Amino acid sequence: MKLVIENVKKRFDKKEVLKGIDFEFEKGKIYGLLGRNGAGKTTLFNCLNEVLEVDEGSFYLVEDKQKRPMEDEDIGYVLSTPNVPEFLTGREFLKFFIDINEEHITNLKSIDEYFELMKISEEDRDKLLKDYSHGMKNKMQMLVNIIMSPKVLLLDEPLTSFDVVVAEEMKNLLRSIKKDHIIIFSTHIMELALDLCDEIVVLNKGVLKPIEPDRKSEKAFKEKIMASLMEE
Amino acid sequence: MLHSFVLSFRLRNAYRVNSILYSLKQIPLVKKILPDRLYQSKALKILGNIISILLEIVNIFLGKILYLWLMIYAFLTLYPTNPANTFLHLIFFLTIAGALMNTYMFNPTKDKYYAMILMRMDARWYTVSNYLYSMLKTIIGFLPFTLLFGFLIGMPLWISVLLPFFIAFTKSIVSCYNLAVYQNKKQVINENNPPKSYWIVVGICLLCAYGLPALHITITPLVFGILFLFFALCGIYAWVKIWYFPYYFSIYRFLLANHSIILSASEQKNKVTQETTHKYIQFDARFTSNKKGFAFFHDLFVKRHRKILTLAIKKQSIVILLLFLGALVLLLINKDIHGEINGLLLTYLPYFVFIMYLLNRGTTVTQAMFMNCDHSMLTYRIYRTPRVILGIFRERLKTLISLNLIPAFILGSALTILLYVTGGTDNLFNYLVLFVSIPAMSVFFSVHYLVMYYLLQPYNVQTEMKSSTYSLVQGLTYFVCYFMIDLHLPTFYFGIATCIFCILYSLISLFLVYHLAPKTFKLRL
Ligand SMILES: Nc1ncnc2c1ncn2[C@@H]1O[C@H](COP(=O)(O)OP(=O)(O)OP(=O)(O)O)[C@@H](O)[C@H]1O
Ligand SMILES: [Mg+2]
Repeated sequence: MKLVIENVKKRFDKKEVLKGIDFEFEKGKIYGLLGRNGAGKTTLFNCLNEVLEVDEGSFYLVEDKQKRPMEDEDIGYVLSTPNVPEFLTGREFLKFFIDINEEHITNLKSIDEYFELMKISEEDRDKLLKDYSHGMKNKMQMLVNIIMSPKVLLLDEPLTSFDVVVAEEMKNLLRSIKKDHIIIFSTHIMELALDLCDEIVVLNKGVLKPIEPDRKSEKAFKEKIMASLMEE
Repeated sequence: MLHSFVLSFRLRNAYRVNSILYSLKQIPLVKKILPDRLYQSKALKILGNIISILLEIVNIFLGKILYLWLMIYAFLTLYPTNPANTFLHLIFFLTIAGALMNTYMFNPTKDKYYAMILMRMDARWYTVSNYLYSMLKTIIGFLPFTLLFGFLIGMPLWISVLLPFFIAFTKSIVSCYNLAVYQNKKQVINENNPPKSYWIVVGICLLCAYGLPALHITITPLVFGILFLFFALCGIYAWVKIWYFPYYFSIYRFLLANHSIILSASEQKNKVTQETTHKYIQFDARFTSNKKGFAFFHDLFVKRHRKILTLAIKKQSIVILLLFLGALVLLLINKDIHGEINGLLLTYLPYFVFIMYLLNRGTTVTQAMFMNCDHSMLTYRIYRTPRVILGIFRERLKTLISLNLIPAFILGSALTILLYVTGGTDNLFNYLVLFVSIPAMSVFFSVHYLVMYYLLQPYNVQTEMKSSTYSLVQGLTYFVCYFMIDLHLPTFYFGIATCIFCILYSLISLFLVYHLAPKTFKLRL
């Protein structure tokens, strides 16, 4: 399976943010999306998630050599800001998503097992989400997307608000699910990108460019990424 | 000091110009014409500067003339006392009250935040120079008008000249007092939230100002002269204190810590709406749901929003019931009005369109739906599948219709019974029409609000209402309903027309929702 992006362009008023994105993301890999503030990472995600309409170009999935458009079930998007319905408890929130998506979920676990996975303590599970901390809300958001297990998973700076223990577990979790998914992961932390991601892609000046890994030394690779980020 | 003043003046001017340009850009038509690079354009900058200077001048003079005119001059004829003395009397006490409430120095404003907290300008020089400037503005702003009004009512010239200085001195004394309070008690006084004692003094001053002249008591020029000398001495002392005061930064760090001052008015309003909407959520462990899927989700929404849903409906129903019983008692006691009421019931049905409009809580409820639920849920792609959107829409529609039908049926029955009690009607269908058309209106409003919400989804990610179409539809709804007040038609025909309209409207709009909502119901960036 592949996610193919062809010549996607997006502008706000006069400002051209995406100037023709061409890329193929493949299943089984975690892509690290790097870019300066305002480079357009979130915009690209919003386009793929069809919250924003693209001005030009298209994107689609290729499965068994068959082109097909992305369906709602194919995509999950974890925003950098927490987005959870404040009137539900954590448990109810998970139950709702499991309920409405039962037929698509493989190897369903119990709700408590999912909480376990995210290290959300028992006393917090039946509290309203509005009383969760920032990081806990983010965990819930991430958890729902992992349970739904969409083919394409977009993560916009997701690990920044997690405590170190959970961040480490999330990394392992992402590694363990990557073989069936296309995971695109935007981050500002280069170490994290190098540690977790199989491919590094840089978004600069409105275009997406893969950075060939430098087998010889990590330092040289880092410098290459930096150079590409800073290109004017 | 001059340097620090010029710097702060330019800073203030720069962001004032920017906010002027920003507001210009908000006007829909202008928005199309002006380019996005607006903030860089030279000509526009100059225009912005001119407007900014005009605003400053208006700010210096307009407030003062309005104040002297509306708060003082307009009252003179009410009192039996000598107008010149009354004028002096009013201005004297109002100045003391005003000085407590309006110090300039203790007003947490954006320009102070930018200058002292963000740009780290020297707090003392910034405050002192701007304070002097504001005192200068007070004196210059008041002088022409104290002269003018003084001339009109024949006040001695020396009083007219001294009054602006009196105002400035009094303000400085209050500021100095507030500084002393900080120095002695480490207590910062925010002029937008003054301590109780200030309110008491203000109350007493207002009472003295507007009360004493009615008892033929006023200040005389001689008394004023003596008081002025005293205030002037204190004022000069205060200026010295203000000049040398060392702790401005600590005061402002505290005063400006309140984050809300850096939000614009609309952002602040939005924040307030958001907070009130969040407060609708009530959690009670007894209320859970054993339903599943959409029904489960929606059931919990209803149970956690009882305040605006079930409880509100309950209140409405009780009020209608009480009014009905009251009317019934009245009719039993007073038989003379039967004929009149009977006539009203047979021609005033259009009026109830407006009543039903007022009873329906569609706007509040859809707003809560967005802010407390859809705003976050819509970021999950799975929530945006047509299956889920329509499934939840159905649940919501069921609840809204059935909840709103309760008071509607009570009102419908009440009217029908009143019709019977007041003498009935020849055409038995009148009963039926009256009984059915009120619930029909209720269904219409329930459907209308929810459908508009799903078709137009007017909120953006920041939960601001941004769709002008939606505002237009809301305005139109209001006007049509309001217009109905003056419409007197036979209940029979109007009722039947209403029912047919409601059925058609509901069918068409539901059809539209089923076909369009999966596309239209989404987040707006
Ligand atoms: N709704 C919008 N209207 C106008 N301009 C926008 C809008 N959304 C984003 N932009 C502009 O598009 C550019 C890219 O923004 P985007 O949020 O995609 O950047 P980003 O790469 O995610 O940055 P960061 O690393 O800071 O999150 C910015 O210059 C931003 O000002
Ligand atoms: Mg971003």
